[in-house]
Amino acid sequence: MVQINLPKNSKVQKGEYYKDKTGSKNIRKVNIYRWDPSTGKNPRIDTYEVDMDNCPSKVLDLLNKIKNEIDSSIAYRRSCAHGVCGSCAMNIDGKNGLACTKPHKEIKGDINIYPLPHLRVEKDLIGDLNILYKQYASVEPWLKISKKDEDKENLQSIEDRSKLDGLYECIMCACCSTSCPSYWWNGDKYLGPAVLLQAYRWIIDSRDEDRKERLKKVADELKLYRCHTIMNCTNACPKGLNPAKAIASIKKMLATS
Amino acid sequence: MKDKNPLSPHIQIYNWHISSLISISHRITGIINIVIITLICFWVALLLLGSSNYELVQNFFETFIGKFVIVGTVWSFSFQILSEIRHIFWDLGFGFELKTSNITGLLVIFGSLVLTIVILGKNLVL
Repeated sequence: MVQINLPKNSKVQKGEYYKDKTGSKNIRKVNIYRWDPSTGKNPRIDTYEVDMDNCPSKVLDLLNKIKNEIDSSIAYRRSCAHGVCGSCAMNIDGKNGLACTKPHKEIKGDINIYPLPHLRVEKDLIGDLNILYKQYASVEPWLKISKKDEDKENLQSIEDRSKLDGLYECIMCACCSTSCPSYWWNGDKYLGPAVLLQAYRWIIDSRDEDRKERLKKVADELKLYRCHTIMNCTNACPKGLNPAKAIASIKKMLATS
Repeated sequence: MKDKNPLSPHIQIYNWHISSLISISHRITGIINIVIITLICFWVALLLLGSSNYELVQNFFETFIGKFVIVGTVWSFSFQILSEIRHIFWDLGFGFELKTSNITGLLVIFGSLVLTIVILGKNLVL
């Protein structure tokens, strides 16, 4: 259900202030959401003064710098640092994105970093994505095929293959799903843009033999039709994909089949 | 057992985009329009009861609030219609590119204002 206000234990409080110790003249303030599960306290916003003269270009570099040089207790996910793994998805400057591909130069004023919105926080910038992964499993994201002819290649025409462009690139970083107000209010039932884009990726695959079943499964008032074309997903996608269009394509297939 | 883990901030921190702004306005104007249509039905029913009722409503429309209601009604319906046209194109599978959706979004916002002025015309001079 729609609940605009945060629960009592989630209200964000003012945290600590870490003053710059390097004496640099090129300082930026970075506000970061912190929550430590070992204390019973509410989440807080810690502010760090960072010396920008010795900081590489991306927001992830900024976080690494803070973790290495100022406060090692801060927790966040990261792995490849090249926009391929999707681990460092977070809310930067009011918009979801990958910290490793977002240049901090593009942000005006203080830099605000939060975990992905409307998730159960595990620690600091780490959100719990278990529900999303379960939903992903529910669309059975693998090729279903009856032929067992293993000597032959499973060919696809260039035209059919091109239908997967803009879909297969998805890295499941969850930027889109956690930007979607419908997913905030109905995240337990609505599949969300990321999972629906994946569902469409298998529905439209010419080699898959389970299209009818897949469509039937997803055709649900809550699972699919909670999408109201708010377009936050497409706005957020760090890979430049279009989940809103994928969802609309599923709706269109259902309406015309 | 109650979950001790907090919920991360959502609508409190998320930036508004043209599309999200129009989406919520579309819903709000939709609800307003239902109320207005109901009121119009009552108004018509009231007129059937005689001229004194007509004057009552007429006097209300002469006040500032009455005029605001008229302009608001026309805008609300204009916005709803234009936004609905945008939705029809979406349902047909067009206009999902970010640039296109931003342009059509702006068209809806400014179009609804223009349409309000065009419909009310000379009467808009309060």
